Amino acid sequence: MNEQPLGVLIVEDEVLLAVELGFLLEEAGCHSVGHAMSSDEAVTLAHDLQPELALVDVHLRDGPTGVEVARTIHEDCGAVALFMTANVKRLPEDFAGACGVIGKPYSSHGVRTALEYLKICMRHGHAPGPVPVGLTLSPAYAELWGLDALPKAG
Amino acid sequence: MTDVSEARRLELEQLVADRTRELTQALEQKTALLHEVDHRVKNNLQLISSLLLLQNRRVSDPAVKAAMRAMLDRVNAIATVHRRLFQSDDVERFDVSAFVRDLVADVIGSSARDNIEFSLDLERVDVAAAKAAPLALVISELLSNCMRHAFPDGRAGRIFVGIRRTNGDFRIEITDDGVGVSSAAKSSGFGLTIIQLLCQQLKAKSETTDAEPGTRVLIDLPVNGARS
Repeated sequence: MNEQPLGVLIVEDEVLLAVELGFLLEEAGCHSVGHAMSSDEAVTLAHDLQPELALVDVHLRDGPTGVEVARTIHEDCGAVALFMTANVKRLPEDFAGACGVIGKPYSSHGVRTALEYLKICMRHGHAPGPVPVGLTLSPAYAELWGLDALPKAG
Repeated sequence: MTDVSEARRLELEQLVADRTRELTQALEQKTALLHEVDHRVKNNLQLISSLLLLQNRRVSDPAVKAAMRAMLDRVNAIATVHRRLFQSDDVERFDVSAFVRDLVADVIGSSARDNIEFSLDLERVDVAAAKAAPLALVISELLSNCMRHAFPDGRAGRIFVGIRRTNGDFRIEITDDGVGVSSAAKSSGFGLTIIQLLCQQLKAKSETTDAEPGTRVLIDLPVNGARS
């Protein structure tokens, strides 16, 4: 397994959540490269810092702009986006190009296992096993990473 | 005469159409508001968890860490309830078996012990949404007690969680094959108090017996309102 930490951008307007997420990232073999609170900030940081993964909340400081942020980050910056939101049902069917979603409120364990899982998927191009509880993959990424059955609902 | 009644009919149809549109809009607005509130609650629960987690990272005293860990588990139980509420189409009913599965997965994952096995036998039971949080807290507290006290000194073991319908009531069973009630370290007085108070609120009967080895806890609750 690739030992280099995964570079992650946190896009979340609640500061306390973001700080705690930062700690969780480090515990899951990732490294926080930056923190954005609005859509403009998120796109700028994604361009400048070139993270591999972006954790994106749907509701940001400038409104429910997270979906567009995820799409832009994926299409323009080549990063994989992962939604972290309480509004799982409001996501578009194609997940705006993101790889999936972790529903809020999430548990520390849920986030850690999801990140470890995604790191392997991203670095190896293939899922190591079934999707952990708390994580839901988009249909496109479930197929890309070789999951035969439907992704497990989180 | 026919023209007048025709005109009147069209007028009435227009009124009905207008009224229907108004009501549909009002319903959409209220639904959106409901989703907004749900979203806020979930976000705020996340905020509470984050505060507890952040504080716990700065604390080194093991007794304090244990107390904070217990509080975190309780908040997580409530957060798990809210994550599941609104996921089904019926927002007034709560699927207890799905909740238990989520909770057990979290308990297993966040525990440092890899020699404690869980087995589940869960019938689908729905309770009123108002009962979800109290019930979740009872189950979470019982599981936490098990994890903390039934298997000291790295002792391996099994925990069984069962949910079964019984004539309009339902029964939750949590049985471990650990060291048993008599020789278990004294469980947190606070934890037991929570369980007792919540059982009163839920009009539930609870019974703890020796499982030889281990402990069996049974909780009997009515599914709907008063017990038959």
